[in-house]
Amino acid sequence: MSTVTAVFVLAVACYAVASALFGVDLGRGGAKVESWATGALGAATGVHCIYLVVDYALSGRTPVATVHQTLALLSLVIAVSFLATMRRHKLPVLGAFITPMTLLLLLAAAFKGHVAEVPEPVRSFLLPFHILVNVLGLAAFALAFAAAVAYVIQEQLLRTRQVGGVFQRLPALDVLDSWGFRLVTIGFPLFTLGVVTGSIWAARLGNVFGFSTGQGFALLAWVFFACVLLSRAAGGWRGRRAAIGTMLGFLCALAAIGGYVLRGVS
Amino acid sequence: MPDKLLVLGVSFRTAPLALRERLAVGEDQAHQDLEALMKNAGLKEGVLLSTCNRVELIATADSPEQAASGTMAYFNQRTSPEKIDGSVYRHYGRDAARHLFRVACGLDSMVLGEPQILGQVKDAFAAAQGAGTVGGFLGRSFERGFSVAKRVRTETGLAAGNVSVSSIACDLAEKIFGDLAGRRVLLVGAGKMSEVAARSLTARGAQLFVVNRSPERAESLAAACGGTAKPLEALATELAEADVVISSTSKRDFVITYELMQGVCKMRRHRPLFIIDIAVPRDVDPRVDSLRNVFLYDMDDLQKVSRENLAARERAVVDAERLIDAELDELERWARSIELTPTIIALRDRVRGLLRGELEKTLPKLAIAESERKKLEGMVEAMANKLLHAPLTELKQSQASTDGATLLEAVQRLFRLGEEPGSIPSTAPSVPAAAKPISVAPAAGAVDARPRERHG
Repeated sequence: MSTVTAVFVLAVACYAVASALFGVDLGRGGAKVESWATGALGAATGVHCIYLVVDYALSGRTPVATVHQTLALLSLVIAVSFLATMRRHKLPVLGAFITPMTLLLLLAAAFKGHVAEVPEPVRSFLLPFHILVNVLGLAAFALAFAAAVAYVIQEQLLRTRQVGGVFQRLPALDVLDSWGFRLVTIGFPLFTLGVVTGSIWAARLGNVFGFSTGQGFALLAWVFFACVLLSRAAGGWRGRRAAIGTMLGFLCALAAIGGYVLRGVS
Repeated sequence: MPDKLLVLGVSFRTAPLALRERLAVGEDQAHQDLEALMKNAGLKEGVLLSTCNRVELIATADSPEQAASGTMAYFNQRTSPEKIDGSVYRHYGRDAARHLFRVACGLDSMVLGEPQILGQVKDAFAAAQGAGTVGGFLGRSFERGFSVAKRVRTETGLAAGNVSVSSIACDLAEKIFGDLAGRRVLLVGAGKMSEVAARSLTARGAQLFVVNRSPERAESLAAACGGTAKPLEALATELAEADVVISSTSKRDFVITYELMQGVCKMRRHRPLFIIDIAVPRDVDPRVDSLRNVFLYDMDDLQKVSRENLAARERAVVDAERLIDAELDELERWARSIELTPTIIALRDRVRGLLRGELEKTLPKLAIAESERKKLEGMVEAMANKLLHAPLTELKQSQASTDGATLLEAVQRLFRLGEEPGSIPSTAPSVPAAAKPISVAPAAGAVDARPRERHG
């Protein structure tokens, strides 16, 4: 096993352990489990950083050269921003949704196949900018997604009168709602910049990439998030609807990335 | 074990209120009652616990059965002419300690796991300390009881989840809105139940508004709870502003109809609203629950939550009993170790005394120099230590096992410890200061021949 692979496997293992511990925290609760889970996630992000550095040192590719590496970067940013914000908002239990998501993204990053490096004409000063804003925007959406999933679960439990166990451990409905909204507000302008820069290439190099399904999904995601923001201001989508809009938006954004990842393979 | 420990009393399980109230001991009276009991019933230590659900005496005595009869006589005198013998439970030794621990944990309470009882036990203990009737043994037992009660609260689900309807309503409101500070609570109708719930919501920082058919009642309730009264006509606008609504009118048909709420939801732009309908017949159309971001709980829903929380507490009883068992073992080990100390001292003194006695007898017959005398004394000392080494080690080790008490008794019989006054550790000059008995029960009277429990 090469060094890169070994570090990668270790990172995956740490994320898996953290996921399991956060799952136990959600199901059974307990301050001890929660601190272990947080510790495991902290360790996972540490190993993850080492993986990115080793990968760069050995391959000489910056994390923005291929979509796979970008994915690995994205999952790291999600985990780190979760760790950075959860303490202040008392939301560590949301790790039960966020940690498996980072694990899946990291695994998807390893789904390399024949790596198609970004073609020469696409490389420009815009590329790092394009990737940076997208990664930051998507990280915010990922956290909003976790809050939205928790909201939908909480509301369902409240409606069906199952207010013990998991209901007691997840945060209050209104807290989840406003946290999700704030995160979408942060992610939206960043993601908009990402979509705009992406569209500039699409227009300039129409022949190279064309209007792909990936771009279609990205636009759809943008529409969902725009609706979540606008209709809240106008007084419609709150609570459950906003949560579902956020979830759909994030899934569309993931589908857009998925399009690129698969193309990298073929 | 603490075979000198006893518990004797009545609780809501064994005696009706009419009987309990005659036995009940007021705070100011507890002092005298305890003193009388110590004197008449032959107790060494005693604590009187008197709550609305139980009256019991937790005590130690040299002969617990005798002390129990003495206490019974005292109790019967209080309830005369009615006799209470049939309603009284008695526990001795480990069972008595277990009973004390279970009571402190809320395992024997009417509402399983309720937290008030622990405070009441602590108060009773403090009162007895004030009266000077708590010594080392009861002190240790209560202290262990408080510690296990704390562990049960934090480590098991015995005290988790509220079971009273008004606190469940408050918990749900907190689970919907997070922080309740600054949230608006609207009371529709001014019933007693809604007042209790409203008070605990305002205690968490919510603002209170009252709408009632009779404005006077609305005013008086609002004044009592620090809220604002509003006219009945303002119901729709108040509903549009509110976060939590508690409805408890005595009207026969719906006060908050589906149609009314449809309009209200538009006005409030679908901000979340929690409606608690504790009126029977109901005040709120059940279809309101299907409106977006409106959550309606009625009396049945709240009681269902209450039952579930209680069931969860019942499942935690096993865990709580396990913690209590572990704590009882700990207490028992401690009790054996303090029984052991005087015996060890007595045994050492007995062996040394015998050997030295023989030496004293022989020395005058010998014409030897001072230095040789010293050597002989040293030899006798060494013999005593060699002789005692194995039995003492064995005795100390045995206390961790079940036959500890048997072995202790055997040693006491074999060496006739405690028969002659000269062998009592308390009077022997060689007793270290720490091992001296501390008289802890002033009313206990004469110093006991073997003051076992008094080394607390």
